[in-house]
Amino acid sequence: MAAAALISCPLPAGAAGVVSLNLCTDQLLVLLAPERVQALEFLARDPTLSFVAAQARHLPWVRADAEAVLQLRPDLVLAGHYGAQTTVALLRARGVRVVQIDEPQDFAGIEAQVMQVSRLLGVEARGQALVDRMQATLRALPRRRRGRAVFWEAGGWTAGPGSLADAALRAAGWTDAGTGSRIGVEALLRDKPDLMVTETAPAFPSMATDLAWHPALRGLPRKTVAPALLTCGGPYSVQVAEMLAQ
Amino acid sequence: MNRASVVLLVVLCGLLGVSLLVGAAGLGVPDWLILWQIRLPRTLLAALVGAGLGLSGAVLQGALRNPLADPGLLGIGGCAALGAVIAFYWGVAAAFAGALPGAAMLGAALGCGMLMAFSGRALSGPSLILAGVALSAMASAFIALALSLAPNPFALAEITFWLMGGLEDRTLAHLALAGPPILLGCALLLRLGRRLDALSLGEATAATLGLPVGRTLMLASVGVTLAVGAGAAVAGGIGFVGLVVPHLLRPVAGQRPGALLAPSMAGGATLLLLADLLARLAPLVLPLGSEPRLGVLTALLGAPFLVRIARQVAP
Repeated sequence: MAAAALISCPLPAGAAGVVSLNLCTDQLLVLLAPERVQALEFLARDPTLSFVAAQARHLPWVRADAEAVLQLRPDLVLAGHYGAQTTVALLRARGVRVVQIDEPQDFAGIEAQVMQVSRLLGVEARGQALVDRMQATLRALPRRRRGRAVFWEAGGWTAGPGSLADAALRAAGWTDAGTGSRIGVEALLRDKPDLMVTETAPAFPSMATDLAWHPALRGLPRKTVAPALLTCGGPYSVQVAEMLAQ
Repeated sequence: MNRASVVLLVVLCGLLGVSLLVGAAGLGVPDWLILWQIRLPRTLLAALVGAGLGLSGAVLQGALRNPLADPGLLGIGGCAALGAVIAFYWGVAAAFAGALPGAAMLGAALGCGMLMAFSGRALSGPSLILAGVALSAMASAFIALALSLAPNPFALAEITFWLMGGLEDRTLAHLALAGPPILLGCALLLRLGRRLDALSLGEATAATLGLPVGRTLMLASVGVTLAVGAGAAVAGGIGFVGLVVPHLLRPVAGQRPGALLAPSMAGGATLLLLADLLARLAPLVLPLGSEPRLGVLTALLGAPFLVRIARQVAP
Protein backbone atom coordinates (compact mmCIF):
# COMPACT_ATOMS: atom_id res chain seq x y z
CA MET A 1 0.00 0.00 0.00
CA ALA A 2 2.74 2.43 1.04
CA ALA A 3 4.67 1.47 -2.05
CA ALA A 4 1.78 2.35 -4.34
CA ALA A 5 1.45 5.75 -2.66
CA LEU A 6 5.17 6.43 -3.02
CA ILE A 7 5.35 5.29 -6.62
CA SER A 8 2.51 7.65 -7.56
CA CYS A 9 4.50 10.63 -6.18
CA PRO A 10 5.50 13.13 -8.88
CA LEU A 11 8.95 12.38 -10.28
CA PRO A 12 11.63 14.85 -9.20
CA ALA A 13 13.18 16.91 -11.98
CA GLY A 14 15.98 15.14 -13.81
CA ALA A 15 14.82 11.69 -12.75
CA ALA A 16 17.28 9.03 -13.74
CA GLY A 17 17.43 5.28 -13.44
CA VAL A 18 19.20 3.71 -10.47
CA VAL A 19 20.34 0.12 -10.07
CA SER A 20 21.13 -1.18 -6.59
CA LEU A 21 23.44 -4.18 -6.14
CA ASN A 22 23.26 -4.55 -2.38
CA LEU A 23 20.50 -5.42 0.08
CA CYS A 24 21.26 -2.32 2.15
CA THR A 25 21.28 0.15 -0.76
CA ASP A 26 18.13 -1.59 -2.06
CA GLN A 27 16.27 -0.65 1.09
CA LEU A 28 17.48 2.97 1.16
CA LEU A 29 16.59 3.37 -2.50
CA VAL A 30 13.09 1.94 -2.08
CA LEU A 31 12.44 4.12 0.98
CA LEU A 32 13.78 7.29 -0.64
CA ALA A 33 12.99 7.07 -4.33
CA PRO A 34 11.11 3.92 -5.45
CA GLU A 35 10.21 5.62 -8.75
CA ARG A 36 13.90 5.70 -9.63
CA VAL A 37 14.45 1.95 -9.30
CA GLN A 38 15.63 0.29 -12.47
CA ALA A 39 16.58 -2.88 -10.63
CA LEU A 40 17.26 -4.17 -7.13
CA GLU A 41 19.24 -7.12 -5.87
CA PHE A 42 16.93 -10.16 -5.49
CA LEU A 43 17.48 -10.43 -1.70
CA ALA A 44 15.44 -7.23 -1.36
CA ARG A 45 12.35 -9.41 -1.89
CA ASP A 46 13.15 -11.71 1.02
CA PRO A 47 10.93 -10.73 3.98
CA THR A 48 13.33 -12.27 6.51
CA LEU A 49 16.16 -10.01 5.35
CA SER A 50 14.51 -6.95 3.87
CA PHE A 51 12.27 -4.35 5.49
CA VAL A 52 10.94 -3.34 2.07
CA ALA A 53 10.26 -6.87 0.78
CA ALA A 54 6.58 -6.13 0.04
CA GLN A 55 7.42 -3.12 -2.16
CA ALA A 56 10.44 -4.83 -3.72
CA ARG A 57 8.25 -7.64 -4.99
CA HIS A 58 6.68 -5.18 -7.43
CA LEU A 59 10.02 -3.80 -8.63
CA PRO A 60 12.41 -5.38 -11.14
CA TRP A 61 15.52 -7.14 -9.94
CA VAL A 62 18.90 -7.98 -11.43
CA ARG A 63 21.75 -10.26 -10.46
CA ALA A 64 24.95 -8.45 -9.38
CA ASP A 65 26.50 -9.25 -12.75
CA ALA A 66 28.24 -6.58 -14.85
CA GLU A 67 26.78 -7.80 -18.14
CA ALA A 68 23.20 -7.76 -16.85
CA VAL A 69 23.62 -4.34 -15.23
CA LEU A 70 25.24 -2.74 -18.32
CA GLN A 71 22.24 -3.79 -20.41
CA LEU A 72 20.01 -1.64 -18.21
CA ARG A 73 22.18 1.46 -18.95
CA PRO A 74 21.70 2.90 -15.44
CA ASP A 75 22.59 6.51 -14.63
CA LEU A 76 23.69 5.49 -11.18
CA VAL A 77 24.62 2.21 -9.52
CA LEU A 78 24.47 1.90 -5.72
CA ALA A 79 26.63 -0.76 -4.10
CA GLY A 80 28.19 -1.65 -0.77
CA HIS A 81 31.84 -2.02 0.16
CA TYR A 82 31.55 -5.81 0.43
CA GLY A 83 30.47 -8.27 -2.23
CA ALA A 84 30.08 -7.64 -5.95
CA GLN A 85 33.43 -5.83 -5.97
CA THR A 86 34.51 -7.29 -9.30
CA THR A 87 31.17 -6.23 -10.77
CA VAL A 88 31.70 -2.69 -9.44
CA ALA A 89 35.19 -2.54 -10.96
CA LEU A 90 33.89 -3.68 -14.36
CA LEU A 91 31.03 -1.19 -14.31
CA ARG A 92 33.41 1.67 -13.43
CA ALA A 93 35.73 0.61 -16.23
CA ARG A 94 32.81 0.98 -18.63
CA GLY A 95 32.13 4.52 -17.39
CA VAL A 96 29.10 3.76 -15.19
CA ARG A 97 28.77 5.98 -12.13
CA VAL A 98 28.96 3.73 -9.05
CA VAL A 99 28.53 5.00 -5.50
CA GLN A 100 29.52 2.67 -2.70
CA ILE A 101 28.06 3.25 0.74
CA ASP A 102 29.11 2.05 4.21
CA GLU A 103 27.17 -0.07 6.65
CA PRO A 104 26.41 2.32 9.51
CA GLN A 105 26.67 0.75 12.98
CA ASP A 106 24.83 3.39 15.02
CA PHE A 107 21.83 5.68 14.67
CA ALA A 108 23.88 8.83 13.95
CA GLY A 109 25.58 6.93 11.14
CA ILE A 110 22.22 5.87 9.71
CA GLU A 111 20.95 9.46 9.82
CA ALA A 112 24.06 10.74 8.03
CA GLN A 113 23.74 8.02 5.39
CA VAL A 114 20.04 8.68 4.75
CA MET A 115 20.90 12.36 4.15
CA GLN A 116 23.88 11.48 1.92
CA VAL A 117 21.85 9.15 -0.31
CA SER A 118 18.81 11.46 -0.39
CA ARG A 119 21.04 14.31 -1.62
CA LEU A 120 22.52 11.99 -4.21
CA LEU A 121 19.05 11.10 -5.48
CA GLY A 122 17.76 14.68 -5.27
CA VAL A 123 15.08 13.81 -2.70
CA GLU A 124 16.49 15.63 0.33
CA ALA A 125 13.07 16.47 1.77
CA ARG A 126 12.13 12.79 1.93
CA GLY A 127 15.44 12.00 3.59
CA GLN A 128 14.93 14.76 6.15
CA ALA A 129 11.43 13.46 6.92
CA LEU A 130 12.81 9.95 7.58
CA VAL A 131 15.57 11.35 9.81
CA ASP A 132 13.10 13.53 11.73
CA ARG A 133 10.89 10.53 12.41
CA MET A 134 13.92 8.49 13.59
CA GLN A 135 14.99 11.23 15.96
CA ALA A 136 11.49 11.61 17.35
CA THR A 137 11.34 7.85 18.07
CA LEU A 138 14.72 7.94 19.80
CA ARG A 139 13.79 11.03 21.85
CA ALA A 140 10.59 9.35 23.00
CA LEU A 141 12.45 6.36 24.49
CA PRO A 142 12.07 6.27 28.29
CA ARG A 143 15.34 7.20 30.01
CA ARG A 144 15.96 4.50 32.56
CA ARG A 145 18.65 1.97 33.35
CA ARG A 146 17.80 -1.65 32.81
CA GLY A 147 19.88 -4.76 33.44
CA ARG A 148 22.43 -6.67 31.38
CA ALA A 149 21.26 -7.92 28.02
CA VAL A 150 22.86 -10.21 25.47
CA PHE A 151 21.98 -9.87 21.81
CA TRP A 152 22.37 -13.47 20.62
CA GLU A 153 22.29 -13.67 16.85
CA ALA A 154 22.02 -16.66 14.54
CA GLY A 155 24.80 -19.18 15.06
CA GLY A 156 25.47 -18.01 18.62
CA TRP A 157 27.24 -14.76 17.77
CA THR A 158 26.80 -12.03 20.34
CA ALA A 159 26.46 -8.46 19.18
CA GLY A 160 29.28 -6.56 20.80
CA PRO A 161 30.46 -2.97 21.13
CA GLY A 162 30.40 -1.06 17.87
CA SER A 163 27.47 -2.97 16.37
CA LEU A 164 24.04 -1.66 15.50
CA ALA A 165 22.41 -4.13 17.92
CA ASP A 166 24.67 -2.74 20.66
CA ALA A 167 23.50 0.79 19.78
CA ALA A 168 19.86 -0.35 20.00
CA LEU A 169 20.41 -2.02 23.38
CA ARG A 170 22.11 1.07 24.80
CA ALA A 171 19.49 3.44 23.40
CA ALA A 172 16.87 1.38 25.23
CA GLY A 173 18.80 1.60 28.52
CA TRP A 174 20.30 -1.90 28.61
CA THR A 175 23.92 -2.71 29.36
CA ASP A 176 25.22 -4.79 26.48
CA ALA A 177 26.81 -7.90 28.01
CA GLY A 178 27.86 -9.25 24.60
CA THR A 179 31.43 -9.09 23.37
CA GLY A 180 30.99 -9.75 19.66
CA SER A 181 32.37 -13.26 19.93
CA ARG A 182 30.57 -16.56 19.45
CA ILE A 183 29.24 -18.27 22.56
CA GLY A 184 27.33 -21.51 23.02
CA VAL A 185 24.25 -22.28 25.07
CA GLU A 186 26.29 -23.23 28.13
CA ALA A 187 28.33 -20.01 28.11
CA LEU A 188 25.14 -17.98 27.76
CA LEU A 189 23.62 -19.76 30.76
CA ARG A 190 26.80 -19.10 32.75
CA ASP A 191 26.55 -15.38 31.93
CA LYS A 192 22.89 -15.30 33.10
CA PRO A 193 21.87 -12.03 31.41
CA ASP A 194 18.68 -10.25 32.56
CA LEU A 195 17.49 -10.35 28.95
CA MET A 196 18.34 -12.43 25.92
CA VAL A 197 17.48 -10.91 22.54
CA THR A 198 17.26 -13.35 19.64
CA GLU A 199 16.03 -13.17 16.09
CA THR A 200 12.46 -14.25 15.38
CA ALA A 201 12.39 -17.84 14.14
CA PRO A 202 12.58 -17.68 10.34
CA ALA A 203 10.35 -19.57 7.93
CA PHE A 204 13.26 -21.72 6.72
CA PRO A 205 15.02 -24.37 8.82
CA SER A 206 18.57 -23.61 9.87
CA MET A 207 20.86 -24.89 12.61
CA ALA A 208 22.07 -21.32 13.18
CA THR A 209 18.59 -20.13 14.16
CA ASP A 210 17.49 -23.39 15.85
CA LEU A 211 20.22 -22.75 18.39
CA ALA A 212 18.23 -19.86 19.89
CA TRP A 213 15.44 -22.31 20.77
CA HIS A 214 17.61 -24.78 22.70
CA PRO A 215 15.41 -26.17 25.53
CA ALA A 216 17.96 -25.22 28.21
CA LEU A 217 17.28 -21.53 27.45
CA ARG A 218 13.57 -21.70 28.27
CA GLY A 219 14.06 -20.02 31.64
CA LEU A 220 15.83 -16.89 30.32
CA PRO A 221 13.74 -13.76 29.74
CA ARG A 222 13.69 -13.20 26.01
CA LYS A 223 12.68 -10.66 23.40
CA THR A 224 12.79 -11.38 19.68
CA VAL A 225 13.67 -9.03 16.86
CA ALA A 226 12.88 -9.38 13.17
CA PRO A 227 16.33 -9.81 11.57
CA ALA A 228 15.31 -7.52 8.68
CA LEU A 229 15.45 -4.56 11.10
CA LEU A 230 19.16 -5.05 11.79
CA THR A 231 20.61 -6.85 8.75
CA CYS A 232 21.09 -3.40 7.21
CA GLY A 233 21.05 -0.26 9.31
CA GLY A 234 18.19 1.99 8.13
CA PRO A 235 15.57 4.40 9.41
CA TYR A 236 13.49 1.39 10.46
CA SER A 237 16.24 0.15 12.83
CA VAL A 238 15.03 2.48 15.59
CA GLN A 239 12.05 0.12 15.97
CA VAL A 240 14.45 -2.31 17.65
CA ALA A 241 15.37 0.23 20.34
CA GLU A 242 11.69 1.07 20.75
CA MET A 243 10.78 -2.60 21.25
CA LEU A 244 13.69 -3.21 23.67
CA ALA A 245 12.58 -0.24 25.78
CA GLN A 246 9.08 -1.64 26.31
CA MET B 1 34.07 -60.14 26.65
CA ASN B 2 37.85 -60.00 26.52
CA ARG B 3 40.38 -58.07 28.58
CA ALA B 4 40.74 -55.23 26.08
CA SER B 5 36.99 -54.60 26.22
CA VAL B 6 36.93 -54.59 30.01
CA VAL B 7 39.81 -52.11 30.25
CA LEU B 8 38.20 -49.90 27.61
CA LEU B 9 34.83 -50.00 29.36
CA VAL B 10 36.41 -48.90 32.63
CA VAL B 11 38.22 -46.04 30.87
CA LEU B 12 35.00 -45.13 29.04
CA CYS B 13 33.00 -45.00 32.29
CA GLY B 14 35.63 -42.74 33.81
CA LEU B 15 35.54 -40.44 30.77
CA LEU B 16 31.74 -40.31 30.84
CA GLY B 17 31.99 -38.98 34.39
CA VAL B 18 34.77 -36.52 33.57
CA SER B 19 32.86 -35.32 30.51
CA LEU B 20 30.00 -34.12 32.72
CA LEU B 21 32.45 -31.88 34.55
CA VAL B 22 33.85 -30.05 31.50
CA GLY B 23 32.14 -27.31 29.53
CA ALA B 24 32.04 -23.64 28.65
CA ALA B 25 30.64 -22.79 32.09
CA GLY B 26 33.93 -24.05 33.56
CA LEU B 27 35.32 -27.18 35.19
CA GLY B 28 33.38 -28.86 37.95
CA VAL B 29 29.80 -29.82 38.73
CA PRO B 30 27.51 -27.36 36.92
CA ASP B 31 23.97 -26.50 37.90
CA TRP B 32 21.31 -29.06 37.14
CA LEU B 33 20.03 -27.40 33.96
CA ILE B 34 23.47 -27.36 32.29
CA LEU B 35 24.22 -30.89 33.46
CA TRP B 36 20.95 -32.41 32.29
CA GLN B 37 20.14 -30.38 29.15
CA ILE B 38 23.61 -29.67 27.73
CA ARG B 39 26.41 -31.87 29.06
CA LEU B 40 24.49 -35.13 29.39
CA PRO B 41 23.15 -35.24 25.79
CA ARG B 42 26.52 -34.19 24.45
CA THR B 43 28.42 -36.80 26.48
CA LEU B 44 26.09 -39.65 25.61
CA LEU B 45 25.95 -38.67 21.93
CA ALA B 46 29.76 -38.56 21.69
CA ALA B 47 29.95 -42.07 23.18
CA LEU B 48 27.10 -43.47 21.05
CA VAL B 49 28.20 -41.91 17.74
CA GLY B 50 31.78 -43.01 18.43
CA ALA B 51 30.67 -46.54 19.34
CA GLY B 52 28.73 -46.81 16.08
CA LEU B 53 31.65 -45.55 14.03
CA GLY B 54 34.28 -47.73 15.75
CA LEU B 55 32.18 -50.89 15.48
CA SER B 56 31.20 -50.13 11.87
CA GLY B 57 34.86 -49.69 10.97
CA ALA B 58 35.76 -53.05 12.53
CA VAL B 59 32.88 -54.82 10.77
CA LEU B 60 33.65 -53.24 7.39
CA GLN B 61 37.34 -54.08 7.65
CA GLY B 62 36.44 -57.67 8.51
CA ALA B 63 33.60 -58.15 6.04
CA LEU B 64 35.46 -56.55 3.12
CA ARG B 65 38.87 -57.86 4.22
CA ASN B 66 40.29 -54.43 3.59
CA PRO B 67 42.29 -52.62 6.29
CA LEU B 68 41.36 -49.22 4.80
CA ALA B 69 37.61 -49.77 5.08
CA ASP B 70 35.99 -47.03 7.19
CA PRO B 71 32.48 -45.61 6.94
CA GLY B 72 33.96 -42.14 6.39
CA LEU B 73 36.58 -43.08 3.78
CA LEU B 74 34.07 -45.25 1.92
CA GLY B 75 31.65 -42.33 1.65
CA ILE B 76 28.87 -43.94 3.71
CA GLY B 77 29.13 -41.18 6.32
CA GLY B 78 29.06 -38.54 3.59
CA CYS B 79 25.95 -40.05 1.99
CA ALA B 80 24.27 -40.17 5.41
CA ALA B 81 25.11 -36.48 5.99
CA LEU B 82 23.73 -35.70 2.53
CA GLY B 83 20.45 -37.41 3.41
CA ALA B 84 20.27 -35.42 6.65
CA VAL B 85 21.07 -32.14 4.85
CA ILE B 86 18.29 -32.65 2.32
CA ALA B 87 15.77 -33.57 5.03
CA PHE B 88 16.79 -30.71 7.31
CA TYR B 89 17.10 -27.79 4.91
CA TRP B 90 14.14 -28.69 2.75
CA GLY B 91 11.73 -28.89 5.63
CA VAL B 92 11.17 -32.67 5.76
CA ALA B 93 12.84 -32.98 9.19
CA ALA B 94 10.35 -30.52 10.70
CA ALA B 95 7.39 -32.45 9.25
CA PHE B 96 7.62 -35.50 11.51
CA ALA B 97 9.92 -36.82 14.25
CA GLY B 98 12.39 -39.36 12.96
CA ALA B 99 12.52 -37.88 9.46
CA LEU B 100 16.05 -36.55 10.06
CA PRO B 101 17.71 -39.83 11.14
CA GLY B 102 15.45 -41.65 8.69
CA ALA B 103 16.72 -39.61 5.76
CA ALA B 104 20.32 -39.99 6.94
CA MET B 105 19.90 -43.76 7.15
CA LEU B 106 18.34 -43.77 3.69
CA GLY B 107 21.42 -41.86 2.47
CA ALA B 108 23.73 -44.35 4.17
CA ALA B 109 21.81 -47.29 2.66
CA LEU B 110 22.03 -45.78 -0.82
CA GLY B 111 25.74 -45.18 -0.19
CA CYS B 112 26.27 -48.85 0.71
CA GLY B 113 24.35 -49.90 -2.38
CA MET B 114 26.29 -47.62 -4.70
CA LEU B 115 29.56 -48.74 -3.16
CA MET B 116 28.75 -52.36 -3.97
CA ALA B 117 27.65 -51.39 -7.49
CA PHE B 118 30.71 -49.19 -8.19
CA SER B 119 33.31 -51.63 -6.99
CA GLY B 120 31.71 -54.67 -8.63
CA ARG B 121 32.92 -58.04 -7.44
CA ALA B 122 36.34 -56.86 -6.26
CA LEU B 123 35.06 -55.83 -2.81
CA SER B 124 38.34 -56.41 -1.06
CA GLY B 125 40.73 -54.80 -3.53
CA PRO B 126 41.81 -51.21 -4.04
CA SER B 127 38.83 -50.68 -6.36
CA LEU B 128 36.62 -50.60 -3.25
CA ILE B 129 38.61 -47.74 -1.76
CA LEU B 130 38.61 -45.87 -5.07
CA ALA B 131 34.84 -46.31 -5.30
CA GLY B 132 34.63 -44.98 -1.75
CA VAL B 133 36.73 -41.94 -2.63
CA ALA B 134 34.44 -41.24 -5.58
CA LEU B 135 31.34 -41.68 -3.43
CA SER B 136 32.79 -39.36 -0.74
CA ALA B 137 33.59 -36.65 -3.27
CA MET B 138 30.13 -36.94 -4.77
CA ALA B 139 28.44 -36.74 -1.36
CA SER B 140 30.50 -33.64 -0.37
CA ALA B 141 29.67 -31.96 -3.67
CA PHE B 142 25.95 -32.66 -3.26
CA ILE B 143 26.03 -31.44 0.35
CA ALA B 144 27.54 -28.15 -0.79
CA LEU B 145 25.09 -27.93 -3.69
CA ALA B 146 22.02 -28.73 -1.56
CA LEU B 147 23.09 -26.16 1.03
CA SER B 148 23.77 -23.42 -1.48
CA LEU B 149 20.35 -23.99 -3.07
CA ALA B 150 18.56 -24.07 0.29
CA PRO B 151 16.33 -21.08 1.08
CA ASN B 152 18.55 -20.06 3.98
CA PRO B 153 21.20 -17.34 4.33
CA PHE B 154 23.15 -19.35 6.94
CA ALA B 155 23.27 -22.60 5.00
CA LEU B 156 26.70 -21.91 3.53
CA ALA B 157 28.15 -21.41 7.00
CA GLU B 158 26.64 -24.74 8.05
CA ILE B 159 28.49 -26.73 5.41
CA THR B 160 31.38 -27.07 7.87
CA PHE B 161 29.11 -28.79 10.38
CA TRP B 162 27.92 -31.38 7.89
CA LEU B 163 31.40 -31.99 6.46
CA MET B 164 33.43 -31.78 9.67
CA GLY B 165 30.91 -32.79 12.33
CA GLY B 166 30.29 -31.46 15.81
CA LEU B 167 28.34 -32.02 19.01
CA GLU B 168 28.04 -28.47 20.31
CA ASP B 169 24.68 -27.59 21.84
CA ARG B 170 22.98 -30.85 20.95
CA THR B 171 19.82 -31.52 22.96
CA LEU B 172 18.10 -34.46 24.63
CA ALA B 173 15.83 -34.52 21.56
CA HIS B 174 18.87 -35.28 19.37
CA LEU B 175 19.81 -38.07 21.78
CA ALA B 176 16.29 -39.53 21.58
CA LEU B 177 16.40 -39.42 17.76
CA ALA B 178 19.82 -40.96 17.24
CA GLY B 179 20.29 -43.19 20.28
CA PRO B 180 17.85 -46.04 19.50
CA PRO B 181 18.94 -46.64 15.86
CA ILE B 182 22.62 -46.51 16.82
CA LEU B 183 22.07 -49.06 19.60
CA LEU B 184 20.00 -51.28 17.30
CA GLY B 185 22.68 -51.12 14.60
CA CYS B 186 25.41 -51.96 17.12
CA ALA B 187 23.41 -54.91 18.49
CA LEU B 188 23.06 -56.26 14.96
CA LEU B 189 26.74 -55.77 14.12
CA LEU B 190 27.96 -57.36 17.37
CA ARG B 191 26.23 -60.63 16.40
CA LEU B 192 28.26 -60.90 13.17
CA GLY B 193 31.52 -61.92 14.90
CA ARG B 194 31.60 -65.61 13.99
CA ARG B 195 30.49 -64.94 10.41
CA LEU B 196 33.28 -62.39 10.00
CA ASP B 197 35.79 -64.90 11.37
CA ALA B 198 34.67 -67.38 8.71
CA LEU B 199 34.79 -64.67 6.01
CA SER B 200 38.41 -63.91 6.91
CA LEU B 201 39.30 -67.23 5.29
CA GLY B 202 38.08 -65.84 1.97
CA GLU B 203 34.62 -65.75 0.44
CA ALA B 204 34.98 -69.09 -1.34
CA THR B 205 36.21 -70.96 1.75
CA ALA B 206 33.56 -69.32 3.90
CA ALA B 207 30.89 -70.39 1.43
CA THR B 208 32.10 -74.01 1.55
CA LEU B 209 31.85 -73.82 5.37
CA GLY B 210 28.17 -73.08 4.83
CA LEU B 211 28.32 -69.32 5.44
CA PRO B 212 25.72 -67.32 3.52
CA VAL B 213 28.21 -64.69 2.24
CA GLY B 214 25.71 -62.40 0.52
CA ARG B 215 23.42 -62.42 3.54
CA THR B 216 26.32 -61.59 5.85
CA LEU B 217 27.33 -58.60 3.73
CA MET B 218 23.70 -57.50 3.69
CA LEU B 219 23.40 -57.72 7.49
CA ALA B 220 26.65 -55.79 7.85
CA SER B 221 25.31 -53.09 5.51
CA VAL B 222 22.08 -52.79 7.50
CA GLY B 223 23.94 -52.51 10.80
CA VAL B 224 26.38 -49.92 9.43
CA THR B 225 23.49 -47.99 7.89
CA LEU B 226 21.68 -47.80 11.23
CA ALA B 227 24.74 -46.93 13.33
CA VAL B 228 26.49 -44.53 10.94
CA GLY B 229 23.34 -43.01 9.45
CA ALA B 230 21.73 -42.09 12.75
CA GLY B 231 25.07 -40.76 14.04
CA ALA B 232 25.60 -38.51 11.03
CA ALA B 233 22.06 -37.13 11.38
CA VAL B 234 22.93 -35.48 14.70
CA ALA B 235 26.72 -35.11 14.60
CA GLY B 236 27.46 -34.40 10.94
CA GLY B 237 30.27 -36.15 9.10
CA ILE B 238 32.94 -37.39 11.50
CA GLY B 239 35.74 -39.27 9.80
CA PHE B 240 38.54 -41.65 10.70
CA VAL B 241 37.15 -43.07 13.97
CA GLY B 242 36.20 -46.30 12.21
CA LEU B 243 39.61 -46.49 10.55
CA VAL B 244 41.81 -45.74 13.56
CA VAL B 245 40.09 -47.67 16.35
CA PRO B 246 40.32 -51.24 14.97
CA HIS B 247 43.97 -50.63 14.00
CA LEU B 248 44.84 -49.37 17.46
CA LEU B 249 43.15 -52.37 19.05
CA ARG B 250 44.46 -55.20 16.85
CA PRO B 251 47.75 -55.53 18.79
CA VAL B 252 45.83 -56.08 22.06
CA ALA B 253 42.61 -57.75 20.89
CA GLY B 254 44.15 -59.98 18.23
CA GLN B 255 43.76 -60.30 14.48
CA ARG B 256 40.50 -62.28 14.49
CA PRO B 257 37.76 -59.93 13.18
CA GLY B 258 35.16 -61.32 15.56
CA ALA B 259 37.33 -60.61 18.60
CA LEU B 260 37.73 -57.02 17.49
CA LEU B 261 34.05 -56.04 17.46
CA ALA B 262 33.26 -55.37 21.12
CA PRO B 263 36.61 -53.65 21.81
CA SER B 264 36.17 -51.48 18.69
CA MET B 265 32.75 -50.39 19.88
CA ALA B 266 34.09 -49.42 23.31
CA GLY B 267 37.20 -47.93 21.69
CA GLY B 268 35.20 -45.80 19.26
CA ALA B 269 33.10 -44.42 22.10
CA THR B 270 36.25 -43.70 24.12
CA LEU B 271 38.07 -42.03 21.23
CA LEU B 272 35.23 -39.75 20.19
CA LEU B 273 34.43 -38.80 23.78
CA LEU B 274 38.12 -37.99 24.30
CA ALA B 275 38.19 -35.89 21.11
CA ASP B 276 35.04 -34.06 22.19
CA LEU B 277 36.53 -33.44 25.65
CA LEU B 278 39.59 -31.94 23.93
CA ALA B 279 37.31 -29.75 21.80
CA ARG B 280 35.58 -28.47 24.94
CA LEU B 281 38.82 -28.02 26.90
CA ALA B 282 40.62 -26.15 24.10
CA PRO B 283 38.80 -22.80 24.52
CA LEU B 284 39.23 -23.04 28.32
CA VAL B 285 43.03 -23.29 28.14
CA LEU B 286 43.89 -21.69 24.77
CA PRO B 287 42.98 -18.23 23.47
CA LEU B 288 40.41 -19.61 21.03
CA GLY B 289 37.21 -17.80 20.08
CA SER B 290 35.23 -21.01 19.82
CA GLU B 291 35.66 -24.76 19.98
CA PRO B 292 37.64 -26.57 17.30
CA ARG B 293 35.40 -28.80 15.16
CA LEU B 294 35.16 -32.38 16.32
CA GLY B 295 35.75 -33.68 12.78
CA VAL B 296 38.87 -31.53 12.54
CA LEU B 297 40.31 -33.22 15.62
CA THR B 298 39.49 -36.77 14.42
CA ALA B 299 40.96 -35.94 10.99
CA LEU B 300 44.16 -34.58 12.56
CA LEU B 301 44.47 -37.85 14.42
CA GLY B 302 43.31 -40.07 11.57
CA ALA B 303 45.12 -38.69 8.53
CA PRO B 304 48.65 -39.68 9.67
CA PHE B 305 47.21 -43.08 10.52
CA LEU B 306 45.81 -43.46 7.05
CA VAL B 307 49.24 -42.71 5.58
CA ARG B 308 50.81 -45.36 7.81
CA ILE B 309 48.25 -48.01 6.95
CA ALA B 310 48.39 -47.16 3.25
CA ARG B 311 52.17 -47.70 3.34
CA GLN B 312 51.73 -51.05 5.03
CA VAL B 313 49.22 -52.33 2.48
CA ALA B 314 51.05 -50.90 -0.56
CA PRO B 315 52.54 -53.75 -2.62
